[in-house]
Amino acid sequence: MAILKVEGLVKTYKDLKALDNVSFEFNKGILSLLGPSGCGKTTLLRCIAGLEVPDDGSIYIDDKVQTSIRETILVPPYSRAIGFVFQSYALWPHMTVYKNVAFGLKLTKVPDGEIRKKVIATLDLVGLHGLDQRYPSQLSGGQQQRVALARSIAMEPRLILLDEPLSNLDAKLREEMRVELKKLIKKVGISAVYVTHDQEEAFVISDTVIVMDGGRILQYATPDEIYNRPADQFVASFIGRSVLVDGKMVKVDNENCLVAVPEFNNAVLVCHRPQSGGAGDPCKLVIRTSEIKLNSKRFESQENVLEGSMSGRDYRGGLTDHRIQVGSREIVVTSHKLCPMINVDNDGGKIFLHIDPSAISVIIDKPQAVPQHAGG
Amino acid sequence: MLFRSFTTGRLGTIVAFNVQNYIKVFTDPEILPMINNSILYAAGSAALGTGVGAMLAWIVARTNTPGRVLVELMPLYPILMPPIMKNIAWILLLAPKSGILNGFLRENFGIQQLVFNAFTLPAMVWVFGLACVPLGYLFLLPVFLSFDPSLEESAYISGSKPMRTMLRITFPLAFPAFLSAFVLNFLRGLRSFETPVLQGSPGGINVFVAKVYDSMSVEYNPGIATAYSTVLIILSVLALLFYVRATRFSERYATITGKGYRVKVIDIGKWKYATFLAVFAYFLVGIAIPFVVLIVVSLIPYYDYETFMMFPANIDLSNYHRVLNHPSFVSGLYNSLFLSVTIALVTVLAGIIMAFTIYRTKVYGSKVFEFIGTMPLAFPPLVLSLGLVIAVIGTPLYNTLWALGLGLFVAYFPYALRNASGAIVNIHKELDEAAWVHGARWRHVFFQVTLPLLKPTVTGALFYIFIEAIRNIDVAVLLVAPGNEYGPVTLFEYFRVGQWAEAAAGGVIYLIILILAVSIAKFVFKIKFSL
Repeated sequence: MAILKVEGLVKTYKDLKALDNVSFEFNKGILSLLGPSGCGKTTLLRCIAGLEVPDDGSIYIDDKVQTSIRETILVPPYSRAIGFVFQSYALWPHMTVYKNVAFGLKLTKVPDGEIRKKVIATLDLVGLHGLDQRYPSQLSGGQQQRVALARSIAMEPRLILLDEPLSNLDAKLREEMRVELKKLIKKVGISAVYVTHDQEEAFVISDTVIVMDGGRILQYATPDEIYNRPADQFVASFIGRSVLVDGKMVKVDNENCLVAVPEFNNAVLVCHRPQSGGAGDPCKLVIRTSEIKLNSKRFESQENVLEGSMSGRDYRGGLTDHRIQVGSREIVVTSHKLCPMINVDNDGGKIFLHIDPSAISVIIDKPQAVPQHAGG
Repeated sequence: MLFRSFTTGRLGTIVAFNVQNYIKVFTDPEILPMINNSILYAAGSAALGTGVGAMLAWIVARTNTPGRVLVELMPLYPILMPPIMKNIAWILLLAPKSGILNGFLRENFGIQQLVFNAFTLPAMVWVFGLACVPLGYLFLLPVFLSFDPSLEESAYISGSKPMRTMLRITFPLAFPAFLSAFVLNFLRGLRSFETPVLQGSPGGINVFVAKVYDSMSVEYNPGIATAYSTVLIILSVLALLFYVRATRFSERYATITGKGYRVKVIDIGKWKYATFLAVFAYFLVGIAIPFVVLIVVSLIPYYDYETFMMFPANIDLSNYHRVLNHPSFVSGLYNSLFLSVTIALVTVLAGIIMAFTIYRTKVYGSKVFEFIGTMPLAFPPLVLSLGLVIAVIGTPLYNTLWALGLGLFVAYFPYALRNASGAIVNIHKELDEAAWVHGARWRHVFFQVTLPLLKPTVTGALFYIFIEAIRNIDVAVLLVAPGNEYGPVTLFEYFRVGQWAEAAAGGVIYLIILILAVSIAKFVFKIKFSL
């Protein structure tokens, strides 16, 4: 049974395709919708909540139809029994924390005593014990965030939707809150759809991730799979720090393939074999710089070793960025204080880079559109 | 709402079927001087008012002039001093034979010439120009206050001295706001009623509003009146379009950001005595002198120069006695109180419901309603009530208090709507949506979220419309009838028949009501007034 099912969702604003035939199914846990701004992730979330009406498609929550354009069914947001945490938190400034959280419960026929118990229990759960008579403006950003969450889960929905809930917090608090948010959602045991543009946040918080761009789903997989096997160039470059270079496959065997990279002085790199493509095909390599090893002396193995020169270093406290010129490209590799990968003191000095095949994703270029000479 | 389109529709049909009235209007040899007068009067007042307002705004925002508080209170002046009071006071001061100033020159310096004449174009521009100052001030003050100081600082760094920076950077950047205020004041000039009728017509300076009024009150010829109105509407619409263009143009100068800058106050040295003098002079002519003149005149048995100068030896309350025993003033006072309270409540409630429908629901065609709702803004109030008169002739509404109430409703509804729209747009939409997804229906959203959040704006609008309606003349003047008087119109009539002292006494009674209302609003409800 799927908690959420979306079929053929289309939404167009004037010329912009916000959602372009989006379909997916989501069973349980936490699902992130990840993508750059304008990719359609928020529109998708608002369609699920019933705040937007799509042009076409249908949405099922708990196998019950909520939106179906063809059947002209549109369950209003107030009957969908979902939670929603807004980007701005949307706490009602004229109500106390207690009243904010109790709002939805009071609209149902729950007796007052029970509402009181539930609200207090929920506030305790999110760590806001004793703050129930405060007004939202008297709370810190992190506390407001918790009230918004409490308000959504007090109604005990099966599904909760979160629209970039951490984007208004400062960086440090954001890192704390994302772990706490995850713990809380798991503890309550509800499923969640979480919209974010922050790749790291999506990976930390969710069981599965949908990467979107241009109103389409590019990849729907676990964080691990998305990181290690990005479906295409866009996903690859959006996820983590990586270098993207053009290459040409020179040899393909059962497991591996060899790719020549003109920008790295025509060095040949051993990579894991992609699902399609053969010798002679052009391709793109996505190299995750966090997995590159550096050394000032030659590595023992000759395989996948590039030679470069150090063009500069940027000290960042616990971390150091090394700018290395390889062929015509500059690659930035970050090393951690505890495991310095190199000790080259002099700028311009020679340096060797080892790139393990597992740090490289090979992406076959999309077919060159439709062959032009088809009719001829 | 339906009635409004009906009203304007009726107005339209009558206009269309009276071609001969148009011929009469356009072949009138006075038509060109009238256009000329209207534009000179409106543009002159707008230039004077906006210029002075801009200067005062700059003085308050950017200089260390002493006594700035006199100007900071200025937004209250027009609220405390209804236009007709100002006209009465200045006519008392500037009237050619009986005026206080001419009398003073005659008695003390033997100057027999009539130096001042209230019934000339410059005097009209002077009086209405003073009424334009607060708007110019209010438009330019935020510009000078929220001006990004780095724009000036970068000019200093480039070697420009403060005065030069002022002229080359600060003033040009304030120009769009100046233009907006100028055009809006120009529009108010075209629509204004009291000055043209009380000062223009007696002196033969005819402008359109006065002509519309005369053709109704003297000749009782609605056809001619509508024909004149059409010309007036065309002029106002042109000005309104220009205003819309001007404000759009000003958006390009997006130098004013939401950041809270601390504005640098410039030490202008010795010049601060000059600027103080300017501030004080404005305080005198803008409020103090008219105020004093009115009160004094209301307390003397009758008005002429000699009696005026004998004050306070001849102080008496006979004017108040007469006014308060005059049935048409008493019923007018009662009607104006009753109607303005009712109208304030009704328009504000209707405005909120409408704004909520437009911005927060997906009711089909609600944008059209917004257009219709703000349309009356394009019509001068007098024309609006003319349309209403024509619409209700022959219906049971004619000559009733209902017609008067309807006229006021139509005139003030756009303000209520704009006020509510502005406030609703400022309430983050997610606050509504949050209620919605957490189980609230429309009625819950409206009563539990939107309405409580609107409370401050709503009380402000209530007081504003009350204060505007209780002193209204230009909507009410064509809709009053024996038995359905309206207080301010009665005062206006007193003044026209030469009962100046009674008019002043009635005016002071209204001043007391206004001061009470403003004080309650300010101190009980903490409302900040800005026009």
